[in-house]
Amino acid sequence: MYIIVVGGGRVGYYLTRALLNEGHEVLVVEQNPAICEAVNDELGSICYRGDGCEVASLEEIGTARADMLIAVTGDDEDNLVSCQVAKHKFNVPRTIARIRNPKNESLFKKLGIDVTISSTNIILEHIEEEVPTHPITHLFEIRDKGLEIVEVKIPPGSTTIGKTVKEISLPQGSVLSLIIRKARKPIVPTGSTVIEAEDQIIALIDPESEEALRTTLRGE
Amino acid sequence: MKVVIMGCGRVGAWLARQLDADGYSVTVLDTDPYSFRRLNFPRHLPDYKGTALIGNGIDQEALKRAGIEEADVFFALTQGDNRNVMAAQIAKHIFNVPRVICRIYDPLRQELYSTLGLEAISPTTEFAQTLKERLES
Amino acid sequence: MEYQNILVPVSGTDIDEEAIRLACRLAKADKAKIWVVYVIPIQRTLPLDAEIEAEVQKAEEILDRMERVARGDNYVIETDLLQAREAGPTIVDEAIEREVDLILMGVSYKRRFGQFSLGSVVPYVLKNAPCRVILYHQYTPPTEDET
Repeated sequence: MYIIVVGGGRVGYYLTRALLNEGHEVLVVEQNPAICEAVNDELGSICYRGDGCEVASLEEIGTARADMLIAVTGDDEDNLVSCQVAKHKFNVPRTIARIRNPKNESLFKKLGIDVTISSTNIILEHIEEEVPTHPITHLFEIRDKGLEIVEVKIPPGSTTIGKTVKEISLPQGSVLSLIIRKARKPIVPTGSTVIEAEDQIIALIDPESEEALRTTLRGE
Repeated sequence: MKVVIMGCGRVGAWLARQLDADGYSVTVLDTDPYSFRRLNFPRHLPDYKGTALIGNGIDQEALKRAGIEEADVFFALTQGDNRNVMAAQIAKHIFNVPRVICRIYDPLRQELYSTLGLEAISPTTEFAQTLKERLES
Repeated sequence: MEYQNILVPVSGTDIDEEAIRLACRLAKADKAKIWVVYVIPIQRTLPLDAEIEAEVQKAEEILDRMERVARGDNYVIETDLLQAREAGPTIVDEAIEREVDLILMGVSYKRRFGQFSLGSVVPYVLKNAPCRVILYHQYTPPTEDET
């Protein structure tokens, strides 16, 4: 894939390095000449000095044949415009924007940006994961398919403890895909697997049935 | 008629004073309080009687404080093209302001956002055109 | 000084032939190998493996001419045609890969925005070369308005 990364700061740099390692053709667009030089020195002439929001620059670097544009500058407005120009002027199939202010997420979606990544939300999710009072943790969202992967912890005293997977009435469209037990290998559950206290269950669900799954598994 | 102006630079301040004098209800938003000096200086113009608020126009909360929900017109006039574009789109698509006008210096970006339905003006092309007309008249 | 492998990047300018001749003279004493490379720059608007017929043809003509020049000096050179985004890093990579001990570059006199300019390739090669570099700069008599 040909991937354009707008912004050569820390996020852009590590992202680019990872994408290069996966064998993609990557070009970084960065305005600051010192950052350009650093990226070129480290990763080998793959940094274009220019404004990643400007139609003229994006044209020169062949945005029209890019499979993806990822805007990761520190400013939400620059990331928005960069993605919009890529999308509407060059028909880039997939645009991803980093956002600082989580409130911008719905705006960006509304304006046609395919994926937004909010570091604030990511950190919040990690905190959720650490804090045991959160019964359900969102691990991953498959937006096009309307699916998400969540983690549910079985609290001591749940009515599901001792039941087999078959015996639990799961909400429509939910699949229990993995059970993680302390000091044991993860188990791929079958119908006869018995749920134990403190199990961490990874499930693939329809976001709508999140609440139903939580009540069923935690036996509240 | 209620007008919200984002950006109290020369153009924003000048526009605010004129609309204020014409009887519009004007609110100016800027991140830098120092910029509000332009609202009362030079003094031979009528004093600005509207509202001036510190705030970032790409922050929905700041726009709400400026009364964007009741506004009839929104102008995006900061120095940053992208900031103007984003604020204008918030005003148009989130707050449904009936008339949104935004400044985009870069002619190519102005062209693109015009096709996307934003009322965008490029001072670059307008001024170059003015100069050319002066020369030819 | 002894050289085993000499890399001569050419770009299709007048200075190329002289650079080849000089390389042959240096190589003869040690029976060194001469690699002549031409880099076709590929714009980002095209994929790296795009086939640009006209460019390839032009490059092959230049490399053929270089072979003839060397043959005229009774020396056999090897030529290579490369496609890359930028010439500088490509020349340096080539030098590393072929383990050359000398890069000899012909440099033509260039002006950019009215000022003398070395361009971007020469400084890059000087900064990053894994071996010695000889720049062979074209002599340009000063024009009248400069004296």
